[in-house]
Parts: sequence; structure tokens; C-alpha cells
Amino acid sequence: MDRRTFLEILVGSTAGAGAGFMLTPVNWKLMDDVTIWTQEVWPDFFAGIPERGEVTHANSVCNLCPGGCGITVRKVADRATKIEGRRGYPVNDGGICILGAAGLQLLYGPWRVPSPLRRVGKPGSGKFEKISWEEAISEVVRKLSVLRRKGKAHTVASILGSDRGTVPNLFARFLKAYGSPNFICTTSAEDTSELALKLMQGGKASAGYDLERANFILSFGSGLIEGWGSPVRVIKAHSLWRSGNLRKRATVVQIEPRLSNTAAKADNWYPVNPGTEAALALGLAHVIIRESLYNIYFIRNHTSGFEDWTDSAGNTHMGFKRLVLTEYTPDAVSRTTGIAAKKIVKLARAFARARRPLAVWGRGKGSVSGSLYECMAVHALNALVGNINKPGGVSVRPEIATHTWPRVYQDATALAGFSRSRIDGANTNRYPLTKYLPDRWPQIISRKEAGTIQALFVHDADPYYTTLDTSAVAKAFEQIPFVVSFSSYLDETAFHSDLILPNHHYLERWEDLPTPIGLQKPMLSLLRPVVSPQFDTRHVGDVLMTIARSLGGAVANAFPWRNYKALLKETMGDKWSTMKKTGYVEEADYQPPIWKDAFATRSRRFEFYTTALKRAGMKRNKDLDYLPHYEPITPEGDSETYPLTLIPYELIRLADGAIGNPPFCTKAVEMTELKGNDIFVEINPKTAGDYGLAKGRYAMLETPKGKAKVLVHLSEGIMPGLIGMPKGLGHAGYDGYLAGKGVNVNSLMGVVEDPISGLCATWGIQAKLTSV
Amino acid sequence: MSTTEEKEQTAGEQGGEHGPEEATHEPVKPGAWRFLIPIVAFGAGFVSLLVLGWVIFPHLLYGEKQQPVDFSHVVHQEAVDEGCESCHFFREDGSFSGIPKLENCVQCHEEPMGESSEEAKFIAEYVEPGKEIPWHVYARQPQCAFFSHAAHVKMAELECAKCHGPVGDSDHARPYQYNRLTKYSRDIWGWNIAGFKKKTADRMKMDDCAECHEESKGHKDACFVCHK
Amino acid sequence: MKEVHHKGHGNEHHKGHGRTYKYGMVIDLDKCTGCGACMVACMAENNLPFRKDNTNDRLTQNFWMRVYKISNGRPFPDSEICYIPRPCQHCEGYDHHHHTPCVSVCPATATDYSHETGIVSQIYTRCFGCRYCMAACPYHVRVFNWWDPKWPKGMNKYLNPDVSVRMRGVVEKCSFCYHRLQRARNKAYVEGRREVHEDEYQTACTQACPAGAVTFGDLINPKHKVYKLKDSPYAFRLLEKLGTNPKVYYVSTKDWVRKAGKVFLGNEGRG
Repeated sequence: MDRRTFLEILVGSTAGAGAGFMLTPVNWKLMDDVTIWTQEVWPDFFAGIPERGEVTHANSVCNLCPGGCGITVRKVADRATKIEGRRGYPVNDGGICILGAAGLQLLYGPWRVPSPLRRVGKPGSGKFEKISWEEAISEVVRKLSVLRRKGKAHTVASILGSDRGTVPNLFARFLKAYGSPNFICTTSAEDTSELALKLMQGGKASAGYDLERANFILSFGSGLIEGWGSPVRVIKAHSLWRSGNLRKRATVVQIEPRLSNTAAKADNWYPVNPGTEAALALGLAHVIIRESLYNIYFIRNHTSGFEDWTDSAGNTHMGFKRLVLTEYTPDAVSRTTGIAAKKIVKLARAFARARRPLAVWGRGKGSVSGSLYECMAVHALNALVGNINKPGGVSVRPEIATHTWPRVYQDATALAGFSRSRIDGANTNRYPLTKYLPDRWPQIISRKEAGTIQALFVHDADPYYTTLDTSAVAKAFEQIPFVVSFSSYLDETAFHSDLILPNHHYLERWEDLPTPIGLQKPMLSLLRPVVSPQFDTRHVGDVLMTIARSLGGAVANAFPWRNYKALLKETMGDKWSTMKKTGYVEEADYQPPIWKDAFATRSRRFEFYTTALKRAGMKRNKDLDYLPHYEPITPEGDSETYPLTLIPYELIRLADGAIGNPPFCTKAVEMTELKGNDIFVEINPKTAGDYGLAKGRYAMLETPKGKAKVLVHLSEGIMPGLIGMPKGLGHAGYDGYLAGKGVNVNSLMGVVEDPISGLCATWGIQAKLTSV
Repeated sequence: MSTTEEKEQTAGEQGGEHGPEEATHEPVKPGAWRFLIPIVAFGAGFVSLLVLGWVIFPHLLYGEKQQPVDFSHVVHQEAVDEGCESCHFFREDGSFSGIPKLENCVQCHEEPMGESSEEAKFIAEYVEPGKEIPWHVYARQPQCAFFSHAAHVKMAELECAKCHGPVGDSDHARPYQYNRLTKYSRDIWGWNIAGFKKKTADRMKMDDCAECHEESKGHKDACFVCHK
Repeated sequence: MKEVHHKGHGNEHHKGHGRTYKYGMVIDLDKCTGCGACMVACMAENNLPFRKDNTNDRLTQNFWMRVYKISNGRPFPDSEICYIPRPCQHCEGYDHHHHTPCVSVCPATATDYSHETGIVSQIYTRCFGCRYCMAACPYHVRVFNWWDPKWPKGMNKYLNPDVSVRMRGVVEKCSFCYHRLQRARNKAYVEGRREVHEDEYQTACTQACPAGAVTFGDLINPKHKVYKLKDSPYAFRLLEKLGTNPKVYYVSTKDWVRKAGKVFLGNEGRG
């Protein structure tokens, strides 16, 4: 073959092939297919195209906060695809909050603990190995048996997020049977509020607020629309206040130094000097009393300690009226609070003359316990206007009684351990009224010699992140040889644990939940599995019972139930079938007792002068100590070195408690709060001018507890001299979607204890902000 | 040295490939047949590409799988009361159940109902272990498409066969072919590789939807009607 | 039922299905607390991706529903803030000269205005990512996918099969949860109805809003709540003067909020 032939064949056949190809469907077909590939197959590489299937809905309850909203989970086949508010549910009727809506990210996220884990690296290194449940449980049992044998049962402690419901009660029971008094729960404003109710009204009950029917809401720093109380319920009430004719709308007055969302939505915002809220409340009381605007019938017939009084020994005591009239004149209060005297008078009149006035308390979301006297001062305002147990007012709300468990038989070891004093100092002579002092133990442990706590169980709480002065907490953790976390997520505490025994996620388990916070009517609701467990997790109730059973003897005998579900069913008793069917039981016709029967104090009256506090054995002898009064909670740090005051603030878009913010919510955080990994602090332009700080620039924030690099955001919504900083950032646990973003404001704060309750009353800390 | 003989010999050698007979018969002029070379080459290329494109290409593009169970619609049609909807029903929320789940099958097939070996296999492999049957779905549409059976079957009262063809008359499950590139069922593009169709049920591409919408509604409809 | 004509414009009929709708929204800014539940409900409903590194980056973050925060700009303590939730405004344009800004510039016909529902669609598989629509939209509702969506392992389990996942290089935006209309219609058809009830078709943000600030429905149906709400003396629409005729109305009793929403320049709109 010569070259020419070769070329002829080549060209000819190529041309023929080309022509033939054009007459085949190959090109058109492939073009179409490649297009389809890009739209169908390519995204599947990255995203995983969602499978279709039958749609069903499952009802349960959200327990990401104490709000207890009903939820309806939309499922496709066996996948949960969306959480929505449950329609017709007494708490939230269809609405849902931002965190609740993102719950599935917590369920399916990479921050779940996949199976029992044992630490292999150094403490806090985050290096864990997967172990079997049998191995994990036997390790706990081994440690606990040794401690008990050595007579160190009392060195076992637990920290929980709540003391209500069957699971917390199981922990309490376990420690009691095992022999330790150290059942500790994290606290919140609810604890202080309960204590104030106990002191002024007697008895153990929580406060219920009739927000829906109130028409003048005086909020002392409560973030009413930012997660205070049961968030969706309060936001719904807020909408009621904002509905209808402009003239008929309710009035909302917000008292706080920063323009929060609540302040922005309020009819009036009074930027008060931080920490002086109690003085303002008493200043208002002054005007109300002086002008006789109070409910004379209630004050006369159902209160005590309003007027001066004489005790059985013949000593005269100061009453609330004299205290307020002499000490809290508008002028004096104006000097303390920074609110003009005229405005105080005007506000007091408007409040007292309103048809249904209501004063509410609890800073921000109510996550900090706060000052007891301040809470009492605010509650005194409610008493003055006579809204206790009235429509639109504040009432006492008991819990629905459940089947009580058999008594725990304590063996000698248990008795010996259980009678030791508590590690946190609660329920002692110093703090006789307080149940738990979770913010004190880190200090106590780091002060005392090692060995105070030999084993710590943590459930439903993340003390490593949420406790103020985190470096003290870190030190305390180093002193505890054995930390067991029951967390479903790899939170900070789990990260620093020796063993993680992951609980089922809240969408995977059975559990009972008490009445949502702030509700007037008692309720009991049921958490139920919406999806089957996604990982190798176990119900914490079952794990605890298995541990108890393996310990044997009296500890084992304290847990006669087959498993957690059997216990739950038995405890709920006759309510179980309703709860299983509808998801909750509610005492819909519950009415708070009428004034005559309302008060369980010794005087059977509302006590402005709290005799219960006197009887509790507090070593105090001034009348003032038993009356609501303004006692400054002074922030740490000297004002020379630290001329500014740092106040943390809470955002509904940022979960700042034991639950880490899911990615969706972090995405929704404002650009003036977080940018990349940098957190913003909010200061007034005037402050910026005074200290040479510029918008959007880096600055160094220093407090007596630590320092952090921050970005500066200028806002006309914050009082000069203050630095606002959002809570809920600066996580180290979870995952790159949350970890490393911003700074944990708790690490810059210290604990300032309330003089009476001993609970954390910190509202700020002195700070310094310098440009870098 | 150079002679005519030599030249002839050389010429003979050159034409040798055509054989001595040809050479001795009609002496062809050197260029007379050469024009055939490109034509033959063209033809060969043309034909081979046609064969490749029309015959071999579909075999390369499409993979084939057998259905896990050789299902007979004919047998089932006789046994049920409500036609297609006995097994392919609408759910209360308006969605269409599509291929039945095992639980639907089990309603009748807890125990073998006949003698068929396929049924015995089905019961042994799926019913007893409680395993869903991994059917291959001939009519599966891409994820960007939304198809409402309710709108077509309930509102517009179309026959199932209009899009699905006479599936109900099949006595055996035909092999499932899928596009190796796109993972689509071959039924979407249609079995004709050129995309020609004779009946409405032959193809299930967007143009086929639009064609029918235009006929019945007067316009092709907005994108969102069928997309999601 | 016969169609009801509103004082508005462009109620065109089509052959076949006679009834037209104008789905729209009224958002009460007095009630909106800026909680962001609408944003997250939308992200969860519509399979919006998220990334580790683009927290709060306005350029690269995807939101279909975004809550803006505006301030009256006055000094402490007279400063005020207001939140404005902003879904796609589903602009209709005026007088049959349909001029939905994004639709008119799309070279790929990847977005269209449905005369039947009043919803502006976005077809991801059709879009080739030129982003003209993003430039044209005065409300910044359109977002571009700079990355392929990637979920942490196992998290794709919560994806909603009713909404496509979008690939890198395409534009997306709020659809008024159109798939919910498709769902609701399915149910109606099976029950032998053509009409979808007001409560059967609600967007995810409307349903989630704990404040009940978002109301959704057919703006030309007198039986729907939005019909009356949009005529409130306190109602306004964003950038009304552009003539986009958006179908999202806002209600605020505060003058400065209404003014800010209309965005007047210089002396416009005074008096």
C-alpha cells in the first residue's frame, strides 16, 4: 500500500465515519445524557439526593430548653425531615422557635457521640476509643465499687440540668442509695424566683405568669421575646399585646441598659444603670405607696410586713412601707439608676393604674440565677398592684403529682456517705435555703486538696462551658479522676470526660417532662421516640439502672423496675394512657387558690417582711435583711484598671446553655455579632470615642478573669461605658460548624454570689477595651 | 542493464495484488479503480459508525438488570377487585404509593397462594426475612421533576396506560435497562435510541409532558407546575 | 367560584384552568420579634446548605428568607431597631407589561412568572449561573451557589425530597414553598376538589413564625386573611416606587419603619 492509498482510506473512512456518526443518535443522545448527568448524578456525589417515601407525622415534645413546646415531626419513610410546632398544643399551638426548628441537625449531626467512648489521650485531648456498652458499664461499676468499699461514697457527685422528672429523680435516688449527698443541678433565674415565692408566699411552687391577659408588662431586663420563659408562648403573648386597635394594645416597658429586641419592641425603654433594677422597682413602689395607688384591699387583708409591726417580744420592726418611703424617693432612685425622677413617677402611675399590670423578672433568657432581693423587689410590685393569683397576674403553679416510688433503703455505707455535707455548700448554715450551688463547686474543688470529688456524673448539662470563670472549672475538672458524661453530643464536658455513655437523642427516647417554665397550668408531657436510635446509644435511665444492679446489694434493690420504660409507665400511673395517646396531660381547669388560701407562710399572708428567711437561721439581724431592698451586686475588678463594664447579653438565635448552637442557627446570627471566627462586642460610639476604638476594628478585651481579641461594633443601643457581648459562642466542643467561632463570654466572667442564696448573681464584670 | 523486460516485470509486480488473471484480461488503467478506494473507505466508515451508533451504542450505554422477582401483572389483575389501584393506590395525603411495599404484598402472600416457583422464591427471600423487594422502577422520574398522579389520574382522568403502556397485561417482568451515565431508566428516553415514538407511552421526557399539556391546556404550562 | 377582581392588575385568564391566584404575604413588623425561626424553618424545608467557614458572610451565604435589622439612626437612648423578614417578593409588575425584574433578564428562561399563581419560579436545572437576575433583583433575594452542597455524613437524612438539592453554579431563591402547593393540590385532587383551602397551603416560614407575624394566602380572594390585611393603612411594600408590584406587604405602625421600607431619597416622599 502506498502513501496515497493509505491517505485515501484514512480520509475516506473518517469522512464516512463522520457522516455516519451524524446520522446516528449518539451525539444527540450523549449531549442530553451529559446534561442530565450534571443535574442528577453530580449533585448526588455531594449531597445525596433525598429518597422519597411515604410521609407520616409523629408528635413529641421539644426539650432543648425548659419551654416544652409540642412538636410534630414530618417523616419520609424512616427519616425525620422537618420539625414543626404542634398545632393545638397548649404551650405553643403551632409555633416553633429557631432552635427547635433546627433540632434535626442535632439528631443527624457529626457532633453526636456514636457509641460509648473511653478517653485514651491526655485529659482534654479529645482522643477517645470506641468501647462496648458492657465494657463501659463495667468500668463505671468497678470504680464505684472501689470508692464505696473505701468509704468514699460521698465523693461521687452528679451535675444535671434539672431536678424534675423521672430521669433526674433516678440520679438522685441512685446517689441516695449509693451514699452521696452530692446531687447537684445547674440553676437559673427560676431557682431564685422559686426561692422568692417560697419566702414571700410560702410553699414550694413555681411562678406562672398570665402574660396573655396582662395589659401592662413591666419587664426588669427579661428578654421576653428572646427566649425568656417558654419562648414560643411568650412571643405569642407578645403578639397579643401587639394586636388590635392601637389604643387597646397592651403596654410593654423594658428596663435594661441595652437595646435588646424586647427593648426595641417595647413601648418604652428605660436604659437603667446595670445592676440597679431593684432600686428602680422600689422607687416605683415608693410612688405607688406615696400616692396610694396600691391595691388597698389586698395589702390590708392579705399581706404582712407592709406597715411597721411589733413581734411577740415587743420589738418594733420596720415595714416595707417605711423602708420604701424613706429610702427610695424618686430623686434618690434617679441618682442610682440614671432614670429621671419624673419618668419614675410617670412609669409608677402608669403601671399602678393599668387594668392588669404585671411585673416580670429574670435577666435575658433567665439563665443566670440573679439577685434574690431584686427578684423580691419586683415581686413586691406585683403584690402592691394585687395581681397575685389574679387574671393577668402572677400565680403559683404546682406540679402534677405522679406515682411516688418506694422508699430507698440505705445500707450503712449509704447512710454514712449521705449524711456528709454537700460539696457545693448548699443547704448549710451559710446557705440554708438553697438546694444547689453549682457555681461554687469548681472554686471549692480547686481550693481544697484533691480527692473531694472522686467521680462525677454529668447529664443534660455542660458545666464545662456554661459555668462562669471557665478556667476555674477547667482546673476543677483536672482534679476529678473520673468524669462520666451521658451526653448525646460531644460537648465541652463530654470532651473532658473519661468516659462517655451517650444517651439517646431527645427524638429517640421516652421521657417525661414537667410543666413548661412560666406556665400557669400544671402540665406533664411525654417525650417519645420519633425515629429509631441512629447510633449505638442507650437510654440514660436504663444505663443508670444497669449500673445500680451491677453494684448489687441495697443499691440494686433501690431499682426494682425492669427497665426505664416500665418505670416511666408505673410512675405516670393513670396518666400514662392519656399521655401516650395525646402526648400530655394538663390540668386545664386549674385555678390558683384565692387570696384567703393562697399563702402558706406562717402568717398565712403575703409577707413583705419574710419571716421564713429569719427562721432559716441566717445570721442577720437588721430588719432590712428580711425586706426586699437594693443591695448592689458589685461586679469584680477595680474601676481604675478596668474602667468599662462588660455585660453579656443573650440572643434567641444563639443557644447559650447546655445545647450547642446548630449550624442553621449560627448562620442566622447577625453580622454585627459574629464574622468568620471573630466575635463582636457592642459599644456606644461615645465609648469608642473615649477609648480610641473604631468600628469594625480589632480590640483587646480584658477582664480580671481573662482576655480575648474581639471586633468592635458601634451601636447607639447601648449605654456609654458598657461593653455588650453575646453569650453562646466560643465553643470548643461539637464540630467545626460551632467550635472556634467567637469567644465564650463565660470565660471572661466571674461568679459573684448572692448574699442570701449564694447563687450566681453576676450581671457584669469590670473590663478594659484597647485597640490593637 | 535496464531492459523493457525488467520494466514489465516491475509493472507486473506492482499489479500483483490484483492477481495475474486480472492483469492478463482487461488491462485496467492505473487510475480507473482507484476512485473506489475512498468510496469504499467512506462506505465502510459510514456503515460501521451507523452500526456502532444504532446497534452497538445502545448496548454500551444501557446496562440491564433483571427484576428481583418475575412478577405477572396478568395473574394479579385477575385476582384483585379494583384494577391498578388495588396495589398502586393513593394515600390520604394525595400522594401516590407507586410500587407497593412488602407490607402490601404480605396482605395476601403471607403463605404461598399458588404453585409458582417465583412466588416460592419471593416468599423465601423477601416475605420471611421481612426484606423490601428492591424493584427497579421503569418510570422513575428525575429528582428535579414533580409528577402528580392525583392531577393526572384523578383530575384529568388519564388512563395509566397512556404513560405507562400496557403494563397491566404483562405476564413477565421485562428486563430493566438503565442508562449507565445518567442512571435513568431506559423508559424515560424511550426504547428507540433515536427517541422516535409511536405512542404516548413510548417516551417520558419533558417534551412529552409538554406536548400533552399543550394539547389539553393550550399552553405548555409554567416551569413550576412540574419542577421543584 | 368566580374569580374576584382586585383593584390590582394583571389578572389574566388562561385557557383550560380558568381560576387564577395571586399568592402573597403580609408581614406584621409590629409583631415580628426578629427571632429568626422563619429563616431556619425555611432552611430546613428547602434543603439549604451551610458551611463551616461562611458564617455571616453576606456575599456567599444562602438565605431564601433573610431577616434584616434596620435602625432609626438616632442616638442613645432614642435609638430604635426593627426587623424586616424578606422572602422573595414575587414581583408582578404593572398593567400587563409584566416586568418581574429577574424574569425579564434571564437569558435561559430559568425563571418565569406564573400567571396562574403569581409565583416566580426558579428552575435550577435550567439555570447556568450568569447571575443577571441577581443584579436585576432590587431586593437581593437571589443567591448563588458558590459551592456544591455538602452535608456532614449522615445529615442528608433530613433532606426534604419535595425540594431539589441545587448544584454549584446555579442561582436559587424563595419559591413561596411551591412544593407545598403541589402537595396541597394532590390532596385536593384526591378528594375531588380543584381548590386548595387557605390553611392547606402555607409556606414554611408562615407556619413556623411563633409570633404569627407572617400571613400567607391569595391576595385576590376576599376570604383569605391577607386580602384585608394588605389594605391596612399601615401597610407598605419595599421599594414600591420601582414599579415592581411585589406581592409581599409589610405592616408597621411606626412611621420611620414605613419610610425606611419605601426607601426614599432626598426629598422624595416627604409630607
